[in-house]
Amino acid sequence: MSKDLSKVRNIGISAHIDSGKTTLTERILFYTKRIHAIHEVRGKDGVGAKMDSMELEKERGITIQSAATYCSWKDIDINIIDTPGHVDFTVEVERALRVLDGAVLVLCSVGGVQSQSITVNRQMTRYNVPRIAFINKCDRTGANPEKVTKQLREKLDLNAHLLQMPIGLESDLKGVVDLITMKAVYFDGDSGEDIRIEEIPAAMLEEAEEKQEALLEEVSMFSEELMEALLEGGEVDTALVYDAVRKGTLALEFTPVLVGSAYKNKGVQSLLDAVESFLPCPTDVVNMALDLNDGEKEFAVTNDPKDPLIMLAFKLEDGRYGQLTYTRTYQGTLSKGDTVFNRRTGKKVKIGRLCRMHSNEMEEIDSCGSGDIVALFGVDCASGDTFTSEGISCSMTSMHIPEPVISLAVIPVDNKAQINMSKALNRFTKEDPTFKTFVDHETGETIISGMGELHLEVYIERMKREYGALVEVGAPQVSYRETISQRADFNYTHKKQTGGSGQYGRVAGYLEPLAEGDYEFVDSIVGGVIPREFIGSCDKGFKKSVEKGSLCGAPITGVRCVINDGAYHAVDSSDVAFQLAAIGAFKEGYLKAKPVIMEPIMKVAVEGPSEFQGSVMGSINQRRGMIIGTTEEGNYSVVEAEVPLSEMFGYSTTLRSLTQGKAEFTMEFATFKQVPKSVSEQLVKEYQDERKNS
Amino acid sequence: MGNELIVNNPLRALGLEEKAGGTTQAMMGLVMARAGLGKTAILVQFALDCMLLGNKVLHVSIGEGVDKTRTWYDDILSLLTDGEKLESIPEVMKNRMIMTFKESSFSKAKLEERLDDLVQQNIYKPECLIIDGYDFEKNDKKSLEELRDFMNTRGLKMIWFSALSHRDDKRVSLDGVPAPCHEVDMLFDTILLIKPEGDSMKLNIVKCDSCSVDPGSTLMLDPSTMLIKQV
Repeated sequence: MSKDLSKVRNIGISAHIDSGKTTLTERILFYTKRIHAIHEVRGKDGVGAKMDSMELEKERGITIQSAATYCSWKDIDINIIDTPGHVDFTVEVERALRVLDGAVLVLCSVGGVQSQSITVNRQMTRYNVPRIAFINKCDRTGANPEKVTKQLREKLDLNAHLLQMPIGLESDLKGVVDLITMKAVYFDGDSGEDIRIEEIPAAMLEEAEEKQEALLEEVSMFSEELMEALLEGGEVDTALVYDAVRKGTLALEFTPVLVGSAYKNKGVQSLLDAVESFLPCPTDVVNMALDLNDGEKEFAVTNDPKDPLIMLAFKLEDGRYGQLTYTRTYQGTLSKGDTVFNRRTGKKVKIGRLCRMHSNEMEEIDSCGSGDIVALFGVDCASGDTFTSEGISCSMTSMHIPEPVISLAVIPVDNKAQINMSKALNRFTKEDPTFKTFVDHETGETIISGMGELHLEVYIERMKREYGALVEVGAPQVSYRETISQRADFNYTHKKQTGGSGQYGRVAGYLEPLAEGDYEFVDSIVGGVIPREFIGSCDKGFKKSVEKGSLCGAPITGVRCVINDGAYHAVDSSDVAFQLAAIGAFKEGYLKAKPVIMEPIMKVAVEGPSEFQGSVMGSINQRRGMIIGTTEEGNYSVVEAEVPLSEMFGYSTTLRSLTQGKAEFTMEFATFKQVPKSVSEQLVKEYQDERKNS
Repeated sequence: MGNELIVNNPLRALGLEEKAGGTTQAMMGLVMARAGLGKTAILVQFALDCMLLGNKVLHVSIGEGVDKTRTWYDDILSLLTDGEKLESIPEVMKNRMIMTFKESSFSKAKLEERLDDLVQQNIYKPECLIIDGYDFEKNDKKSLEELRDFMNTRGLKMIWFSALSHRDDKRVSLDGVPAPCHEVDMLFDTILLIKPEGDSMKLNIVKCDSCSVDPGSTLMLDPSTMLIKQV
């Protein structure tokens, strides 16, 4: 299969919650004839928008999981990843951005650039994603696209310029003026499907001409031909303007801004045209893979469908059709029945079925090629795995995965719930690398951990709804860590003689802080003082020891356990004896190694009117936060700080009352830092009390 | 690492180290250069120096964002220490706060209000102040005097400004301080001028009331890193 890759667009739609991106996606699917009727996000017809395929999303009116969907506009194939808007789900956004070539940043014409838009924009910049902005909801009272464009420039530091002018605003919104073609575009019919192109209304002509002049001047920076044409005067070829805008957009130096109202069916088709004209096709973007045969050296993928296959699994979903693996092909072609290699596991995988996804409906296809986003059916893998054909050993660059920072206990109400919960957790951990689960050996409770309260809440809801697993939930707990601050020796003998065969093992060596990584075991035994078969037992014993520290019961990280001496007994030494000896040795060394408690620190950004900056800084200071910096633009300010997660519970309520609800904040995990002495003492005391009472 | 930094300590090179530790009136310094010659790099070296001496620094950047300013610190520290990042030295990192303003949002009154917010709520009490991007053309002598008086009442030990000079503006003060600072030079204790000379970069000490270095003398800058070379 040979396909013209210049006719493919892999795009994401990202925005602040409630900017209307799901409605926008729904309209795109309608105009590209993928669906034949329009359903609203919180519509009265009970069907819900197409992209919000999970029950929970339909109920809350928010998008949680990014569902991939395929559509075609004119002769262009568009793969759309709908991305979640809430800050707790940013791993979903990040993963989507990894496989996309371009994006549409949706903004509300009233709310403008809000905190989540800033986070999403930062992520897009991190992954070099060219973007166009769509100012939605121009039918709403208070709509002001000019103001929002200014915010894009000032708050997001984008070189954003309107390519359109709305004809009428708020309830008078009738259509848009295209500042490149200098025509008025109206969207007629019940669902805005009939496009009518007319001359610009006389009352708007002068303003439109002024705006076009300013726009041309700006984009001429990206095209010498356009600059020359402008200098010569006279009519400018629109093709030159399109080309200049495209060049600026691809270089991330220009952000075209379009306006409309998805809900009122205005401007969506123009946005699709802009996706075609200005966003990159797969060959416009350089994607790097890691050569596993050459020390993970980076190399650029070719995009050539004839080359060996390189494909990234970026998302798993357990739907009504079984496991679906969403993939992006970077080079080569994959056909039904082909055998490929999962480079993480080294296993061969036979591809049974290939599907193009249309939210939760699918269309079977025979093959896919570079640039395609398709779902594989029934393939066992984890999110982030790379598939290749035989003879090429590489992996796509690893994704930035933050550490989970919050955890809570989930207790199934009965046996049935227990079984269902296991199934659900197994699925969720495969789907989402930031969601983790483990069993606390002491309490026997299942603990789930993730990126925020809402993140965990959504999984608990999904357990109930999708798997019928009813669970009781404990209070959220901050995920502390313990670590050692200095080297300490140990020399421990485990000896037990209570009738029958005894237990004997001596383990000596030292513990030391490990700069990178959680745990490392080093065997420096010489002369067989501990026989080979028991070295693994020592490792096991140390591993058990680091699961739970003695200060506050948190896992121990950043520790290297080195054994360099020991002793055994020909009869009484055993696997268990050496495991117990290692546990004893660790206990002995741990307290001498000055253990400390570490806590997750969040990067917090609070945005709001400048008049509240003083009280915002005060509130952060009271929460043991360290203010990194403040930014002031006009009457608006942003305070950036690092604050311990444990101090952030209930912050939204505090912030609301401090600022009359005018400020908002985002947070993401930054790092682990040692807790201050007073907090450490408190945590140790609480843990000791808990142990006494249990 | 600490020793290495103290060896290349630019404040010591100027004999200003004691000022950073002193309690007398604030020392007010100025770094001048044409666009793109490295004023911020010099200011950040002074700031890092103050931070390493245990002083709290408030870096006010007018026209630059927090991230860009932070990158300056990481880059300079990395050059000074062979790759060290400020984030990995929390005891030094806690001595810095960045406050940025868009050019149109900055005013003396606003800076004073923000500084009072910090000090009165006991959030952060700066001892050294860096003001990068202050517009000397728009602000007159009186406003600078008021700013200096305000800083003195807030217990600051050291204030460093940067100023942009222009090649075609030939106005100079009697001491040789170029425009736009030629009429306010008496307000500063120390004035340094970055000058490219052939392949090298020099830091001319135009005025230095409390330095151990004589006015008219020169420090060398590494042209690729803008680090002040050891004297």
